Amino acid sequence: MRGVLDLCVLGLLRDRESYGYELAQSLDAAGIGPIQGGTLYPALLRLQRAGLITAQWREGTGGPARKYYRITDTGRAALHRGGHDWVTFVTPVTAIMTGGVDG
Amino acid sequence: MNVDEWLRAFAAELHRRRVATEDVRHVVAEAATHLRDGGGDPWTVFGAPDRYAAAIADSVGTRPAPRPGPVRLQAEGITKRYGRRTVLRDAGLTVRAGQIAAVVGANGCGKSTFLRICAGLESPDAGQVSVSGRLGYCPQQGGTVDFLLPDEHFVLVGAGRGMGRASARRAGRAAARQLGWESDEPVLTRRLSGGTRQKLNLTLSTLSEPDVLLLDEPYQGFDRGTYVNFWDQLLRLRDEGRAIVVVTHLLNQLDRVDVVLDLTSARPGGRP
Repeated sequence: MRGVLDLCVLGLLRDRESYGYELAQSLDAAGIGPIQGGTLYPALLRLQRAGLITAQWREGTGGPARKYYRITDTGRAALHRGGHDWVTFVTPVTAIMTGGVDG
Repeated sequence: MNVDEWLRAFAAELHRRRVATEDVRHVVAEAATHLRDGGGDPWTVFGAPDRYAAAIADSVGTRPAPRPGPVRLQAEGITKRYGRRTVLRDAGLTVRAGQIAAVVGANGCGKSTFLRICAGLESPDAGQVSVSGRLGYCPQQGGTVDFLLPDEHFVLVGAGRGMGRASARRAGRAAARQLGWESDEPVLTRRLSGGTRQKLNLTLSTLSEPDVLLLDEPYQGFDRGTYVNFWDQLLRLRDEGRAIVVVTHLLNQLDRVDVVLDLTSARPGGRP
């Protein structure tokens, strides 16, 4: 699950930067379920340490200062590779499972 | 445990795990922002402070054990008698750059005397002290002048190092802010509260950027928040490579220091 959360976070950051609380809401809205801060922030720190994302404290528009995360080129490459691996894994598994669900 | 208490406990746990001071500040601020945005209970959102701190330390990495720098302060065989009473007997302490040493022991066991001897304000009856670099000393009381403004203190101490008035004021106010004190209000020192006067005292001792900093229970009158800021600042100074000696009778901070000198055990019996 740890690797999947990392990929989901990279996916959410693919098109725009975001901060922790917003990412948690986006994950929830996408149907992944509530991801608590206790799980999310260690993942963000791991990704940051691996150089897949960068972070910067900034004042939001009229809001308080927040730590904004942005994907790096290395992060994009990791998302591309990881996403490909995920699809390769999940497609046949889905095919098998679907038979069970239909039957 | 409310949100502030949870955050404080979390910060203390991060320090204990030797997460870099800069990282601690960011992680705690981010958790506080998250809780403000979401309004949740920190125990649900993040879990227990110690377990969350362990997860963070795991993700962010911890400081490598400090490389011992050069010896900055060496006190050997310090013995001090007042009349027939032996206050210190054969006490010694070695502190290197980038270390914090705590001098502990019950009231009256000679902690302040030991520090004053290290500062060169008193002579020992036996033993010697050598200091390499600039020395800063923050006494338990005094050290401030009643009829001066905080800014005037900064200018005075700055002048001793050849600093201009404006830059000395700026440096002093910045150092005061590290303790959570906005010192630019023109209030005479004798009108400051005891705790604020101690903040001024402490600020002055760090202003000269000493290589060896001697602090004699400098936190008396501090509220809890200031006390936390004080330790954050000590850890920052240590990370900058300063050698710090802090006299304390509070033992709950000992896991954050590098060297402990317990004067209770160093002085068996009170008479020669």
